Amino acid sequence: MSDEEFPLLSELKKGPWPSFVKEIEKTAEHKPEIKDLLKQLERSYEDKITYWKHGGIVSVRGYGGGVIGRYSFLAKECPGIAEFHTMRVNQPAGYFYTTEALRKICDIWEEYGSGLTNMHGSTGDIILLGTITKNLQPCFNALAKAGFDLGGSGSALRTPNACVGPARCEFACYDTLELCYDLTMTYQDELHRPMWPYKFKFKMSGCPNDCVAARARSDFGIIGTWKDEIKIDQEQVKKYAEEGVDIQKQVVEHCPTKCIEYDPEKKEIKIDNENCVRCMHCINVLPKALRPGDEKGACILLGGKAPILEGPVMGWVIVPFIPADELADFVKDLAEKVWDWWDENGKYRERVAELVERLGMMNFLEAVELEPDPRMVKHPRENPFFFWREEDLKPRTDPWKIWREAEKGL
Amino acid sequence: MASEPVEEEYISDIGPPYFRDMLPPVIKNNYGKWKYHEVLKPGVLVHVAESGDKVYTVRAANPRLLSIYTIRELCDLADKYCDGYIRFTTRNNIEFLLTDESKIDDLIKEVEELGFPIGGTWDATKAKYSLSNIVHTQGWIHCHTPAIDASGVVKSIMDALFDHFRNMDLPGLCRISLACCLNMCGAVHASDISLVGVHRTPPVVDDDAVRRTCEIPSTVSGCPTGALRPDMKNKTIKVDESKCMYCGNCYTMCPGMPCFDPENGGVAILVGGKLSDARAPSRLSKVVVPWLPNNPPRWPEVVDTIKTILETWAADAKPHERIAEWIDRIGWEKFFEKTGIEFKVQLIDDFRLPRHTFRTTTQFKW
Amino acid sequence: MSEYSEEDKQKVLEKLAQKPWQTRDLAKVLKMKKRDVDKIVKELINEGKADYWSSGSTTYVTTPEKVQEMEAKREDLK
Repeated sequence: MSDEEFPLLSELKKGPWPSFVKEIEKTAEHKPEIKDLLKQLERSYEDKITYWKHGGIVSVRGYGGGVIGRYSFLAKECPGIAEFHTMRVNQPAGYFYTTEALRKICDIWEEYGSGLTNMHGSTGDIILLGTITKNLQPCFNALAKAGFDLGGSGSALRTPNACVGPARCEFACYDTLELCYDLTMTYQDELHRPMWPYKFKFKMSGCPNDCVAARARSDFGIIGTWKDEIKIDQEQVKKYAEEGVDIQKQVVEHCPTKCIEYDPEKKEIKIDNENCVRCMHCINVLPKALRPGDEKGACILLGGKAPILEGPVMGWVIVPFIPADELADFVKDLAEKVWDWWDENGKYRERVAELVERLGMMNFLEAVELEPDPRMVKHPRENPFFFWREEDLKPRTDPWKIWREAEKGL
Repeated sequence: MASEPVEEEYISDIGPPYFRDMLPPVIKNNYGKWKYHEVLKPGVLVHVAESGDKVYTVRAANPRLLSIYTIRELCDLADKYCDGYIRFTTRNNIEFLLTDESKIDDLIKEVEELGFPIGGTWDATKAKYSLSNIVHTQGWIHCHTPAIDASGVVKSIMDALFDHFRNMDLPGLCRISLACCLNMCGAVHASDISLVGVHRTPPVVDDDAVRRTCEIPSTVSGCPTGALRPDMKNKTIKVDESKCMYCGNCYTMCPGMPCFDPENGGVAILVGGKLSDARAPSRLSKVVVPWLPNNPPRWPEVVDTIKTILETWAADAKPHERIAEWIDRIGWEKFFEKTGIEFKVQLIDDFRLPRHTFRTTTQFKW
Repeated sequence: MSEYSEEDKQKVLEKLAQKPWQTRDLAKVLKMKKRDVDKIVKELINEGKADYWSSGSTTYVTTPEKVQEMEAKREDLK
């Protein structure tokens, strides 16, 4: 491809970071129609506007999602990308691949699509970027034969995603990958056949470091934590100290609750676990010496979402702790209750966080049968505008009756 | 419309492949039994299992948009060095997992020759952190609602900050994310630095397009500020421009009312978000720049601002301190003073219930 | 076991032929349980009598004919 043809894009071939423009060019060498993508993109760079048309419906048999329809405004000038639909392919949990499986996807996408991908999309799916309507079903069939299925889109369960978890992380407090797979398989219908007010996301992080952004990016975030004492290997503490790690400065001074002490004489750490909030800092810094305790499990946060419509939301605690071995059953039971309530009460395009804000946590907790816990709030409310229910109250008295009777001298 | 029916055995709802079938043997054998990890050098980790087994991870950059012809080349390297396994990270890095330490340098050489630099790791023990990949959205490559491009802005920023990806030379973790509109399919609202494409002009209604393609009542009720009302007589929608804050939600629902404006759309920058609970609690990012021009192909104003924020923080932060924690310590007034970013009136919240963001003390820094 | 009649199914189909619906609204209009409407819609989709229609972020259901008609309207959106 000559740089004179695409002067703006060719600027982005320079520099040390890998260039997406080179990736498109490389694809166009094999698939000439992809040159039209460069053509349209160059035009966007000139005019500072997108040339993709709004939405458009495309689907595969029986599914209501997994394909994002895309048509070009420049169909005449760029016929090679007049139809350029995306297929979202459900990734294996943890993003591990055999090269055999990955090559199969490449072969299928060479045959039925543009040859361009995103590894991976924001929700977690493998994104196959750009194909034509008539190829969708054959591509889906080929993917299915290769053991792959589509992910979610639209008003459905979106593809669940997890951090690397116990596969390669010593911090994992529960099996994020197994839970991710379990939820994905249990809720195939919810994933493929959208019926809800809007999208719903599950994300699973194995520890409070939250590498998959569960608390911000999912309606139902599951974050690993533990209840008992941090495990200390004093031998390793000594080794770190001998290797020159300034434990006082790097660890003790950063502890948010000042619950950790270091004895420089003995080169030993002491933790007041009663006051520990399990933030992970000391464990992150001294991974050989400190580990999460044995009583592992997870915390569940509800409502994380991006700004559309009512502003960004950080997921908030609705279940402070569930032991790891009860987690899968508990999550399914709770998620189904949440869906029932949201599906029943939610308005069009209303995420579950927005519904809770509209109807109140009291209604929510009652509907999903959760008990209130101080760990659900930063602090109790600052106003006294509560709702009381009939059963909270003593039998009601009419003040007018009292006054009238008093007036009558009764 | 649904594509042509194909006369084949119909398979559906099989879900993704079982992840365990994708795991390298060393991962499978030591699943859930990892003891600790160390950072050998930038971009290279070793995880040690209770069994004594070790797995070496080589982490490489990734533009996210990958050609299948490149993926095959990456697979060739994974076949040669990693027994046919490869993985990706939640921040779109590529990871090669090895069991033979002696092969690391040869692998790195070949991966870099392919154009994928190694880096993006951090060593908390030594308080040395590198910048990881920028999580981002589609932009002009594939999206119908973007205010800005995505891949081009990311490429420009990562080129400028490249040394911080290669070297672990930052005092703390810094996560940068970009979303090309407020829909935020990238959900970047809790990043150390986030970039968001913003529109600044109300939708332009094409009555005919609205009539043909829109469901008027749901579009009207979908407006978060009540700026839309139905014009039943003409079967279209009227916009009260004084109430519109350009979120673009109506366009998502109704193709007849785009709010694109090449010269007015642009980039907002937010800082101080945090997902991890390490030290200070997690929190959302706060807007520090309401608008910068959408200036392809290299977005110089955006790149300069990001570089200034990152480098001011890096020079001033204590070990482990992320941008949020740094600002907690120095105060917002000092953030604006040190970075030289102008505190504009748009940074004072006037959307929903902003009062909890207003300062109510006399505790200032001068 | 089906909790709805053939008549209900017909009523749903008639409504779907009018415009794209979210099943919650359809349930309200037909004074039926949303869950039943969801089941009926899935059946109709499997029978090829109904189809999804999506803007990408939100999803509706209608008849395949209506989908074609709407797509045709969008085609010349330029």
